[in-house]
Amino acid sequence: MRWRPVSEWPDPAVDYVQAISDTKLVLSHRYAEWSLSGPSLEDDIGGASAAQEEIGHVRQLARELEGQGRDLAWINGQREPEAFANAACLDRVEGSWTEYVASVAPADRAAWYLLDAIDREDLAGLITKMGEDEYFHLEYHDARLETLAEEDPETVQNTLETTLPQSLALIGPAAYDADADPVFESGFTDRSVAEIRDAYIDHYRRLFEGTDVSLEDVEWDEPELDDWDEQRRRSGDGSISQTDIEQLRGEKNQLFTMN
Amino acid sequence: MKYEVFARINQGDDTINVGSVTAQSDRLARMYAYNTFDEEDWNYLAVVREENLLEVSGEQPKREVAAGE
Repeated sequence: MRWRPVSEWPDPAVDYVQAISDTKLVLSHRYAEWSLSGPSLEDDIGGASAAQEEIGHVRQLARELEGQGRDLAWINGQREPEAFANAACLDRVEGSWTEYVASVAPADRAAWYLLDAIDREDLAGLITKMGEDEYFHLEYHDARLETLAEEDPETVQNTLETTLPQSLALIGPAAYDADADPVFESGFTDRSVAEIRDAYIDHYRRLFEGTDVSLEDVEWDEPELDDWDEQRRRSGDGSISQTDIEQLRGEKNQLFTMN
Repeated sequence: MKYEVFARINQGDDTINVGSVTAQSDRLARMYAYNTFDEEDWNYLAVVREENLLEVSGEQPKREVAAGE
């Protein structure tokens, strides 16, 4: 990673936006990977559409991050897997389509809540436009989770017990309240991590209220502040795979580049 | 459940039937319609459960007038 001398945003804010961007980059990849595996053509079309929109968001955020001194090639994937700051629930998405939905949905919502909390006039238009796309992503996910909660509540519940704490780690630790969250304290966001977490947790509790999916065993207090990596916004050492990175960078497609 | 999808491009245009989607819930049907019929920047897009369509004339109405009337 190369830094230019001038940085208008505080350092924690640059890491904050980088984590949103990385989550969206990996999300776009997961959407694309699964866009031919849905139970209906409409689900596949929805996945393909979301993949394109997420990559569009990444391009916009990359431009902003480059303006803050981050190297564009680095942003676009020229780095080691451990340098990515995506939500941990996207590291690997294997298993059934239900597991896929219960993995991407919490990550997409967490990334949007972080983005929506940014309080900067120069980013307001960009965030509003992304919000228009995100409304349909999140509404689709919730609609899908509702139907899957009826069809296969056990798989939804088991998956969410892993993916919700991992998505909460992307948002940040509960200890980051208005007096402790450095991004909020810098004025870059208009609400603290603790406040974002409350809204996020409340959403999923309400979504599954009255269904056969119980969220009682979800570890809502995750991540512990001491275990949390502020740059990668996660606990632990996991990462996406080298193969994921090669695909994100489009290395094999380089073979078809016209010179 | 089958849903008919209706749309118009501009305000004041006729709202026309552009196709249908099959979904397990109204909420999902709305999202399916949004994603599937995104070829236009619709001014209005709506779904209606097929069972809620009120049939006006499913069969050709009889037009014959009896002789002597």
